[in-house]
Amino acid sequence: MIIGEQKPFDEIWEMVKDHKQLLVFGCNTCVAVCHQGGNKEAEILASLLRMRATQEEIDIDIINGGIERQCEHPFFESAKDLLDKSEAVLSLACGIGVQFVAEKYMNTPVYPALNTTFLGDVKADGLYTEKCQACGDCVLGVTGGVCPVSRCCKRIFNGPCGGSSNGKCEISKDLDCAWQLVVDRLEALGKMDDYEKLAPVKDWSKDRAGGPRSFKLEDF
Amino acid sequence: MEIKTNSKLEKVLKNGHMAVTSECGPPRSSDSAGIIKKGHLIKDHVDCINITDNQTSVTRLCSLAACIHLKNEGLEPALQMVCRDRNRIALQSDILGAASFGINSILCLSGDHQSFGDHPSSQNVFDLDSMQLIQTARYMRDEGKFLGGDEIKEPPNLFVGAAANPFADPFHIRVPRLAKKIAAGAEFIQTQCVYNLDKFELWMKGVVERGLHEKVFILPGITPMRSVGMAKYMARAVPGMDVPKELIDRLSGVPKDKQAEEGITIAVEAIERLKECTGVKGFHIMAIEWEEKVPEIVERSGLYPRPDVG
Amino acid sequence: MIGVNPERVEFYNLSAAQGPRWAEICTEFTEKIITMGPSPIWFALQKKKQSAETEKQFA
Repeated sequence: MIIGEQKPFDEIWEMVKDHKQLLVFGCNTCVAVCHQGGNKEAEILASLLRMRATQEEIDIDIINGGIERQCEHPFFESAKDLLDKSEAVLSLACGIGVQFVAEKYMNTPVYPALNTTFLGDVKADGLYTEKCQACGDCVLGVTGGVCPVSRCCKRIFNGPCGGSSNGKCEISKDLDCAWQLVVDRLEALGKMDDYEKLAPVKDWSKDRAGGPRSFKLEDF
Repeated sequence: MEIKTNSKLEKVLKNGHMAVTSECGPPRSSDSAGIIKKGHLIKDHVDCINITDNQTSVTRLCSLAACIHLKNEGLEPALQMVCRDRNRIALQSDILGAASFGINSILCLSGDHQSFGDHPSSQNVFDLDSMQLIQTARYMRDEGKFLGGDEIKEPPNLFVGAAANPFADPFHIRVPRLAKKIAAGAEFIQTQCVYNLDKFELWMKGVVERGLHEKVFILPGITPMRSVGMAKYMARAVPGMDVPKELIDRLSGVPKDKQAEEGITIAVEAIERLKECTGVKGFHIMAIEWEEKVPEIVERSGLYPRPDVG
Repeated sequence: MIGVNPERVEFYNLSAAQGPRWAEICTEFTEKIITMGPSPIWFALQKKKQSAETEKQFA
């Protein structure tokens, strides 16, 4: 799922402090899982902003709200009144949600409370790790289920490089070497013969490099 | 053995001689005088001079320009090319550029991650990996085409090499990885610097078992230690580096002003031992910022004068 | 980030059967907060109230 991290409080405050009215708007799906942008977090953030405003003797009417998902139209029904009346919106959704709100409300400034960081899993409660970069051409079938694009810092397709040390990546002792993991998996699956197959050159036009992507189902 | 390029390195190797190569790092400046001086220091003691490509991700005068400077001085440079900073368009373009100046050899590398260098916030490219770059260089030469399929009017004629690191993990895939590089088209291999001679010979044993030593020319890397501090630093902080404790102890046991000399002696001893190792076809002497010692190492190892291969 | 001393917040874990311990905690904590005095938020709210009253007076 999409993982994000709340921006530093001071940065958020600087973005919104000049408004007289603000809606702190949560998104209760992906960013609620990592406890950064859910409706509960929106309530807390609104409270913190009110406290800051009071201390700085600035008058802002701050209300909080939220919906299930900020990336689909139907979910906005329940918050229509709230959004129609807001002078500005501080959205706690990922970048997708922030843009969706901005598109729906052309005349209302929308600010991101989060930095959207990556697509990842919930390895453990409170621990999220990057697993996919949406490259558009998945090779997980040949790498034993380990992604070289998102988990190798050099996105090598014929790894490991010469910097792999004790199963760790050269850039950090906390980072597993993706290709060590690939080799371990291939061994476990009895597929070490696949290791010597040369991976073909990647078509990056299916990735970000090819421009913003879209997907349309014809039968709709 | 058929000689395919004008590379002096290829000629030395295919005529059955032990080859000697070395490497120089370009300056962090637009003044080429330094790199030219380094080239002249070692030119009679090596068959070709590698020029590093923004090594350790530190921005320097580019390898291609430095190679051209050396070529203009009548020296034999080898272009090092990393995949970190250029996409396939730029890589192929630079290969044509190198060939247009008569640069005859290329070493294809992944490249250190940019977090090690002076611009850690930069984007990295890695459009191709080193394996695919080897394939590309060979494809351009042997098929006369760009990766995209279009014809190249005058194909670049480069002797293609790659790096190997027998000391990185996991060890058990380091021989298969060499096999892969050979399958991709590598014609010569320069390895990471060798201090753990036992481990290197173990790797060579695996290489020879598969007959790979007859398909590619292997040149182990030799870097003389300047001090025990350098040895400790390399053991601790450089990824994929194996510095045995005995070596550190040996250097510690010698007074500070004699450590550099001892380091050179250790390097010469390593060369003498590895000369006897089946499959070793030469040496890649990397004395970065200490290039003035290369002639001494080459002479003391009995590798001077360099053969004249016309 | 909002200028409040972290010592004003404390988490205790106890069951509904621990009556005496609950009383103890309440006493302890109240005494602690009294020593620390009003929070900066209270001062800010007071200021806000006062200026609202002053404005009313002049209105």
